[in-house]
Amino acid sequence: MSRKILIVDDEEVIRKFLRIHLTKLGYEVKEAADGEQAIKQLGGDDFDLLICDILMPKKDGWEVIKEVKSDPKTKDIPVIVLTAKNEDTDMFRGYDMGANYYMTKPFTKAQLLYGLKLMLKETPEEIRV
Amino acid sequence: MLRWTAIIVTSYLMLFGKGRVMDLHLSYTLIIIYLLSNVLLTFFPKAWFSNLKLFYPLVLFDTAIVSFGMYLSEKMTTDFYIVFFLIIIFASVSRNFKLLMVIGGITALLYGGLLYSWGLLTKEEGSSYTLRIPFIFIMTAFYGYIVQTLTREKRQELTISEDKYRGLFENANEGIILLRNHQLQIVDVNREVEKATGYIKGELIQKEVFDLFPPEEMEKARDYFKEVAEKGEARTDSLSFKKKDGVSTEVDLSTKKIDLGEESFYQMIFRDLTDQRKLEKKIRQSKRNLEAIFDGIRDQLSIQAPDYQILRVNRAVIERYQTTFEKLINQKCYEAYFQRSQPCEKCPISITIETKQPATSIMKSSENNTTMQVFSYPILDEKGNLLSAIEYVKDITEEQRLQEQLIQSEKLAGIGILASGVAHEINNPLSGIIGMAEIALEEEDPTKNESYLRDILNCAQRISEIVKGLRSYSRAAKKEELCLVDLNEVLEETLKMVRLVAQKTPVEVIKRFQPIEKIEANTGEIQQVFTNLITNAFQAMDGKGGELVLSTRPLEDSIEVQVSDHGMGIPQKFLNRIFDPFFTTKKPGEGTGLGLNIVYRIVTKHEGTIDVESREQIGTTFTIKFPIRRAES
Repeated sequence: MSRKILIVDDEEVIRKFLRIHLTKLGYEVKEAADGEQAIKQLGGDDFDLLICDILMPKKDGWEVIKEVKSDPKTKDIPVIVLTAKNEDTDMFRGYDMGANYYMTKPFTKAQLLYGLKLMLKETPEEIRV
Repeated sequence: MLRWTAIIVTSYLMLFGKGRVMDLHLSYTLIIIYLLSNVLLTFFPKAWFSNLKLFYPLVLFDTAIVSFGMYLSEKMTTDFYIVFFLIIIFASVSRNFKLLMVIGGITALLYGGLLYSWGLLTKEEGSSYTLRIPFIFIMTAFYGYIVQTLTREKRQELTISEDKYRGLFENANEGIILLRNHQLQIVDVNREVEKATGYIKGELIQKEVFDLFPPEEMEKARDYFKEVAEKGEARTDSLSFKKKDGVSTEVDLSTKKIDLGEESFYQMIFRDLTDQRKLEKKIRQSKRNLEAIFDGIRDQLSIQAPDYQILRVNRAVIERYQTTFEKLINQKCYEAYFQRSQPCEKCPISITIETKQPATSIMKSSENNTTMQVFSYPILDEKGNLLSAIEYVKDITEEQRLQEQLIQSEKLAGIGILASGVAHEINNPLSGIIGMAEIALEEEDPTKNESYLRDILNCAQRISEIVKGLRSYSRAAKKEELCLVDLNEVLEETLKMVRLVAQKTPVEVIKRFQPIEKIEANTGEIQQVFTNLITNAFQAMDGKGGELVLSTRPLEDSIEVQVSDHGMGIPQKFLNRIFDPFFTTKKPGEGTGLGLNIVYRIVTKHEGTIDVESREQIGTTFTIKFPIRRAES
């Protein structure tokens, strides 16, 4: 059974290329354009990984992380923060709130995949690069 | 009235008396004199009667005439006139009414005894002689009563007068000493003297006046009394008394020679100058203090008369113009300082002279490139008339330079914040470009590449837009000189840039721009004002969202710009502090507390005004008015 990943980002183009990459790698990909949608999707489905932007309308990434990590049902889902906020303080804040991996934009496919396999605890053999 | 009766009785006696008058002419003359004297008396003022010098001769005169009349009428045949004369003498001389009654009684008895011994009482006219005895007694009582009444009244008047002057003497605020001319011995002193010298009256009486002066002033005191003796009076304020406790008291002393009856006296009147001297000392000290303050202030201070004449200057002025006090004094300020023929333009002194109100203006000197803030303040008299004006010149060149620097550094800080905002904004499309390009490279089906490339192009265009906006913003920030600025345009551009930073706050921006004139301003600075206000507005609505209303409208001689948000508002207690430098309610690291202070400085620099209205949880509105300076045609 393929693993299910939720991508949360208000930038359509970013969602698009993430989806293309990850689908090719055999993951099941779901998308959300803002924090509210993300929470809704998390409630209705079981995910193996959450890739979350920070600056978004309605509900930002910080709040999404907070809710995910405070809900016993979702708190074990690994969270990758994928954000344009590239200052150290933001990174520390992210880890403090319970994010499992912090990745700043812009990024390459290799960087993304490194984070992914780390979070999903997959061996290199399982990943087709 | 009494005299009239006496005249009638005497006249009757003289004219129809028993013995008849031998010399009728003499009688008539006497009666006429008597009558005339009485008529004359009625014209005398009442006060004259209380004068003893006049009253006693009058009584004597009356008595003489009456007695003489009696003598004439009885032609020495009677002794009655002698008795009558005696009665009058008794009454006049006697001061004691009871004694007079006793004397009257004895006289009457003696007279009765005499008549009896002469055998007159037993003759046929005995009864008429007998009547004389009680008559004598009654007359004595009658005259005695009159004299007594008169003297008592007199004495009462004297007592009242004495009390009156004693009161004046004792209660006078001045010390009064009465000296006997001979040896200048003290005869009387009032209470004030006791107070001023510390001696009691008893200790002073009989003393020589020189005992009152300290030994070192003896010479001066003797000269002074010599002068009084020569001129009759003299005044001095350089003498002092030695008090009983040895302390000297300065006095303002005047002495006058007066004659009281036979003897002449010196009347010394003096005022204790201790308090006055203390006050004078205080005034002198306070003058010295003021002078020290005046000279100690390192800014230029000068006092000018309403005709611009320099009355006083402090040391800073002397040093600044490298001149002397004498050269400046009484010169017109514009002549002395600026070699002008009339007051300078924008001179605040002119305003103060005209309005009697404080005034200030900023004056630039092209000569040494300095900027001065000149304050003027009116000095008024009690009635509110302008006496002079204080001019306070403060060199604000350095202050202005620092302010410029502060604005500049805040501008740089702003650009820094913007840069990080921009970098962040660019990172999103940049991620898109990288991601899409990688996909395109991997894609085996070239037909799909078109869509990827379009995405890449879109992202690149977005980045291009951001960079363009940033360039125009930084270009404006660099400009220092004044130029004609369209506030609507600046607002629009600023909004765009601020949105980049505060991109994700769900704010609806409402623009109500009316066509407005361009104003002369520094574009970069105006942009700074709007940046700070709009950024604040976004921050105020952070998380909660709302409307941001930007509006401009032309007023009569200014342009109004409003930045209005529906944010958290500013607590009432902070409203009057928000423009203070370093005042902030933000967390450390989030705000410097300089934003609104910079806004205030820039607006004031452009001679505009800024007002704030705010209600907590409802929102805040900043209203700025920039004056329009139309070229005069």
